[in-house]
Amino acid sequence: MSAILELKHVSKFFGGLAANSDISFAMEPGMIKGLIGPNGAGKTTLFNCITGYYPPSRGEIFFKGHPITGLQPDRVCRLGMARTWQKVRPLVKMTVLDNVMVGALCRTNSLAKARNIAMEQLSVVGMEQKTHFIAGGLPIGERKKLEMARVLATKPELLLLDEVMGGLNPAESEEIIRLILEIKARGITQMVIEHDMKAIMRISDRIVVLNSGEKLAEGTPAEIVANQEVVDAYLGESHA
Amino acid sequence: MSIFGEIIGTIRRVSPLPLLTFLAVTGALLLFPPLVDSPYALHIMILIFLSVIMGESWNILGGYTGQYSVGHAAYFGAGAYTTMILMQFREVPPWYGMLAGIAVSILTALIIGSICFRLRGPYFVLASIAATEILRLTALNLKDFTNGAEGILATDIPPLQFGSFLVTDFTTKDPFYYIGLVFALAVIAVTWIVQHSKIGYCFQAIREDQDAAHSLGINPSLYKNLSLAISAAFTSLAGSFYAVYIGFIDPTTVLSLDMSVQIVLICIIGGIGTIFGPVVGALVLVPLSEALRSNIITQGLITAGLVNEDSPVGQFLKENLAHAHVLIYGILVVVVILFMPDGVLGFLRKILTGKRRKAA
Repeated sequence: MSAILELKHVSKFFGGLAANSDISFAMEPGMIKGLIGPNGAGKTTLFNCITGYYPPSRGEIFFKGHPITGLQPDRVCRLGMARTWQKVRPLVKMTVLDNVMVGALCRTNSLAKARNIAMEQLSVVGMEQKTHFIAGGLPIGERKKLEMARVLATKPELLLLDEVMGGLNPAESEEIIRLILEIKARGITQMVIEHDMKAIMRISDRIVVLNSGEKLAEGTPAEIVANQEVVDAYLGESHA
Repeated sequence: MSIFGEIIGTIRRVSPLPLLTFLAVTGALLLFPPLVDSPYALHIMILIFLSVIMGESWNILGGYTGQYSVGHAAYFGAGAYTTMILMQFREVPPWYGMLAGIAVSILTALIIGSICFRLRGPYFVLASIAATEILRLTALNLKDFTNGAEGILATDIPPLQFGSFLVTDFTTKDPFYYIGLVFALAVIAVTWIVQHSKIGYCFQAIREDQDAAHSLGINPSLYKNLSLAISAAFTSLAGSFYAVYIGFIDPTTVLSLDMSVQIVLICIIGGIGTIFGPVVGALVLVPLSEALRSNIITQGLITAGLVNEDSPVGQFLKENLAHAHVLIYGILVVVVILFMPDGVLGFLRKILTGKRRKAA
């Protein structure tokens, strides 16, 4: 099968600093790809390049075989690629339902249809009882789930999740892991940035390791854990 | 088609009580001029309608889309000047001038928007002020076109006539009253439709978080410009109405920073981002400003017997309080903003829900 997302020699420079340098990899449809690396390795920058927030300084990005390099984020979203934010960005003064409806309106002009799609996605994340809560008043765990429901409502084929488990307690993280696997079962491809190594090793089919803006390694979780370079740069001895 | 059906469907779902109240108020307003035979009362009502139009238009951009333009005098002035120039120098009836004004304003809005919307937050506010200042100075210096600082005085308003049928003449206040009422209701209706459609969701998403909205498939510059265009069109309508009603415009009134701030204040006082906030704002600000200007406080103190009219204090108040009306107005506005951060409407809502909670 052909790749759903392909990066060819993508680089992003901020002044003299190479936040991403010459990164290439491809993603197979239906898989979960983990993206790991120390703080400042360029994981979020890479997400921003893929989803159109930054134009890459060099290189090309293909989504479903079409070049998307330099496309605006709204176009990228309508093509079927959606992302969540490391620091969640709820539309704070709007209700939970309205938040998800904004996502759903990406695919329809009808508020009634958008409401149906939104209710569906809210029940997927288990928030159907909270539709009329104001988003700004939710605790962090529910904000993360709200954000998941909102991107799912845009009907993505590829989902980029930026630290969706950050700041959550073990029970909440477990819920998110279950959700990610459920999304995978629906055939949606996912790329996941995560610092929780146990979680990422469990859910990923393949893992890409970034370090100082460069791709350090790529492989199955077992290969990554056994890779001496990765152990030295990021994982540390105890994981080996 | 689907958006239209959607709106019809939403109208059907509206609960009958607010709709009935709305219709009752509208009915009462229609009967107002024949029942209340006072030109001054009509004048106040017309000024309130004008403020409602201005406030509601700004609200679409500032309240729903979160772009705090402090340069709406640009569109007010564009409408006023287009109508007035066409009417006074080309003898075009103000109805056509008003439409021309809307076209000019939308064009101005798209030019200003394409430049200023690259900026966000306070930088956008500053850019919107600067853009309007450019227009004010242009109007001041293009003397052949705008009469410069002298302004334009309407000497004769051509009535709108189709053949021998007279649609409107402008010799009494009544036509202004009804036109103002219809415009005010129209802009409220448009706000309502915006709030209950996809456009409104996109506007509010951009207000809450532009980057998040962008990632959800919303094109921020498209929707911000759309919001500004709607807002500018109705602000321009208010400008045209003002020009014809008052009969005189000059750059320092219709294109001034004062005017821009006045427009914003209607919303801040009433309640930003709500349909009836600007209506409340207009109902508070217009009578307040009129009362202060006509020195109603001194009159009240004298009639209540608290101050002797002939005493030095009475003389002082009589002489000076009317001149200080802007100062008092300013202080009252600050007080409202300090103690009612969500505007008068938000404050009333909070009191009502608070009481309900206590009762429960």
